[in-house]
Amino acid sequence: MLEFETAQGNKYAWCDDVGLIIPESLEMRAILNQINLQDPVLDESILKTLMKSYNEDEIKYCYKWIKKWRKIMPKQNALKIPQEIPAESIKPFVLRHCLRQLILDVTEDCNFRCKYCTFSEYYEFTRGYSKRHMNFEVAKKAIDLYANLLKEGRRFNPWREHYIGFFGGEPLLNFDLIKECVNYIESRYGKWHYSMTTNGSLLDEEKGEWLLDHKFSILVSLDGPEEEHNRNRVFCDGRGTFNQIMKNLATMLEMGYKDIRAITVLDPKSDISEIEKFFQRNDVPPISRATNVTKMEGCKYYDQFSKEDQQFFLHRVETARTRYMDRISNNLKNNKKNPFSDALFYRILISMLLGPITLQSSKSLAPFTGTCVPGLKIFVDVEGNIHACERILTNFPIGNVYDGLNYHRIGEILKDYFHHMERCPSCRVRKLCNKCFHDFCTDQGFSSSNNVCQEIESSTLKSLSEAVSIAEIDSKLVDRADIKYESLMKWRV
Amino acid sequence: MYFRLNPECYFIKGECRSAIFDLIEGEIYALNEQETGLVSSFEANNPVDVDNEFLIELKRLCLGNFYSRSVYIQKIRIGSPRSENQINIPPSLARGFIEINNSCHRDCWFCGFNGIKRSSGCMGCNKWNEDGQPLSLDDWKRIIEELRDLDCRNLIITGGDLTLDWDRTMDILDFSYGLFPKIFMSFHQESISREIERDIANKATAIIQTEKLSDTLSDGSIYLLIANGSNGWKPNWIRKDNIIVDYIFKDQNHIPKDLPLMSKAKLSANMHFFLNNIRHHPCLGHTISICSDGKAIPCPMMRKYALGNVGKSPLYSIFQDFYLDKFWKLTLDKIDRCSSCEFRFACSDCRALEEALTGSHLGKRLCCYDPKIGEWQL
Repeated sequence: MLEFETAQGNKYAWCDDVGLIIPESLEMRAILNQINLQDPVLDESILKTLMKSYNEDEIKYCYKWIKKWRKIMPKQNALKIPQEIPAESIKPFVLRHCLRQLILDVTEDCNFRCKYCTFSEYYEFTRGYSKRHMNFEVAKKAIDLYANLLKEGRRFNPWREHYIGFFGGEPLLNFDLIKECVNYIESRYGKWHYSMTTNGSLLDEEKGEWLLDHKFSILVSLDGPEEEHNRNRVFCDGRGTFNQIMKNLATMLEMGYKDIRAITVLDPKSDISEIEKFFQRNDVPPISRATNVTKMEGCKYYDQFSKEDQQFFLHRVETARTRYMDRISNNLKNNKKNPFSDALFYRILISMLLGPITLQSSKSLAPFTGTCVPGLKIFVDVEGNIHACERILTNFPIGNVYDGLNYHRIGEILKDYFHHMERCPSCRVRKLCNKCFHDFCTDQGFSSSNNVCQEIESSTLKSLSEAVSIAEIDSKLVDRADIKYESLMKWRV
Repeated sequence: MYFRLNPECYFIKGECRSAIFDLIEGEIYALNEQETGLVSSFEANNPVDVDNEFLIELKRLCLGNFYSRSVYIQKIRIGSPRSENQINIPPSLARGFIEINNSCHRDCWFCGFNGIKRSSGCMGCNKWNEDGQPLSLDDWKRIIEELRDLDCRNLIITGGDLTLDWDRTMDILDFSYGLFPKIFMSFHQESISREIERDIANKATAIIQTEKLSDTLSDGSIYLLIANGSNGWKPNWIRKDNIIVDYIFKDQNHIPKDLPLMSKAKLSANMHFFLNNIRHHPCLGHTISICSDGKAIPCPMMRKYALGNVGKSPLYSIFQDFYLDKFWKLTLDKIDRCSSCEFRFACSDCRALEEALTGSHLGKRLCCYDPKIGEWQL
């Protein structure tokens, strides 16, 4: 078990075999240092020795509890890298558990040149800028393929609904295609769930009304106040894009558009305090999530920042975290809402404390890392090639809209991926891992986990410590996100 | 100092009292009102008196511990709460009953045909006063494949008398074999023979319905023992691994209070059972039953709730209007009398029987505990 300590000074241990955190005392650690949790038989003489150095009652209690805990420890022999992915298991798995969303890359063109864009020169293995649009023939094929897969998959998962997302480049540069797709879907298949990720610059009133009519869920990239946003998000000619976006957002909010949220990207120069203030404004849509500039194999974006820049940024994050924790301590009463810090810290909190699979062997074909099985999303590029998601490089296609999903290829990718995950069986934060294909892919295949995951245990434990520090102040913040919460808390004051 | 229950111990409050459920040891600790107040307080991270004898006892029982500062206790669970919230998750189907015929030459007094109220009738064979067109062998094979595709974990093949057309029954069993982790088949004791036992050996577990246990029981079979007042309601039987007691209720006004279904004996702090019951009905949850004519119902004994007919449409269509899901999610929290009870997640419940006894699908007759005053009324 891995030890960690919270801001309040409490000690815990992460038990990866079970997938839970346990509170830890000096006595608990002393016993754990002497025994193997899989077989916690402690020699009487060692127990007596420990009782001399530690509180006797506590030693007895901890030993009893550890023996109790052992009853739920899973057998260790399951921890092996899968050598083969049975071909016959892939299609049923995809039809049962995957196909959650079709994403159409309607254009590779963009009217922005965001400095951290994954298609910029900072990213060695991505495709670079392009003017290519998807045509309706490809889009229609993709829609029909997805509809047919869901039809075929109904017998495996009758509760699945159709979700389609429009992505780019800037998808509104090919707005006619989006309209054509939606008209086609509604005339042939009925209503689907629609979403779009946009830079917001082309989101005028006319488009807004059409999107509202079709109940689009919209994500707009917005990095904060003007200075913050324009530092990275610029038009092709270098002008800042902030004013244009805010003008469009004002129109959208005025027309009563509710399902519109912002996504924010941070880099080492981001002024978190200013961004926090910005998202407290009434003329700014709610924030969906805040993430760092994408780090992946071949990324050189961060090379431009000095160590001091990076440390200063970490200091800003820590200061924001302290403010967030103070706000929680005061029961949020005397403080204004702070949607940005909620997005920044709450997401990690939930991911760390409610994410891990506990006491259940994963049913996934992907037992290690946090990766999905390719096919969870159906990402279709402008030419009709299908990829595992919008974030993975194009050299891992899993089919195309003409021939359908290539289940054999999905199996090959999984097998190849896991052959590079040598570190996973001995990793002590397996169940907390959020790494996926995206973190390991290069133009030559996958990188080894021995290279990518060198600091995974320490960085994960740091995140865990931060999450538990918040949960210690108000555990309801976590508990309320569990759908069982209301039932469990019934009749409690 | 602070005191908190361990990760494996759930504190559940009722309207009056409460209980601690140790999900590793499977123990239940019922608390009085004073203890309830104390646990409610320390579980909300309020400070405690380190000399409190009740807390010292809780620690001695290995249910919780003292801490010098307030701490976060992550409760034990199965699976990932975050995953449960995701969209497009497939249904989790634990039990699929298929009644492959509705014929029998016997006239058992406890048969469903006679409208008898029984506690485990679902596990036995029943003939029903229904005249729908029986499904063909091909229909059953299609339905079995559909159950397999829904990842059904237990297939229970029932009738009617499965031995009347044994070749057809074996055809269905052979087709099902290997598609499900477990297969069960129900028989009347008079129908089962060595040949039949040999035919199904290693493929399915027999559930043998009987009024009298023979001296030699087969370890590989499950016995469904019909019990009524005349042969004594031996409550300890329910604890035997391969004996299920099927209590028959002839006179609902005179139900013995010490019957396991009425008393503490029906409670269990089994981890899977307890955690499942927070969101699902302990029995209806994850269950579907297909009648001999293709009618889909929530359980074999709830005949009047037709979800659709899988002879005419595919099995998945039954799931799509979420009517079945309402039965799955009919937790005891939603049953009036149980909703204020601290044992609501540890309790077994047969909705079919309760409905037969009370006339309401939300009724409750089989319980001696009054959660409003916190007493077992024995």
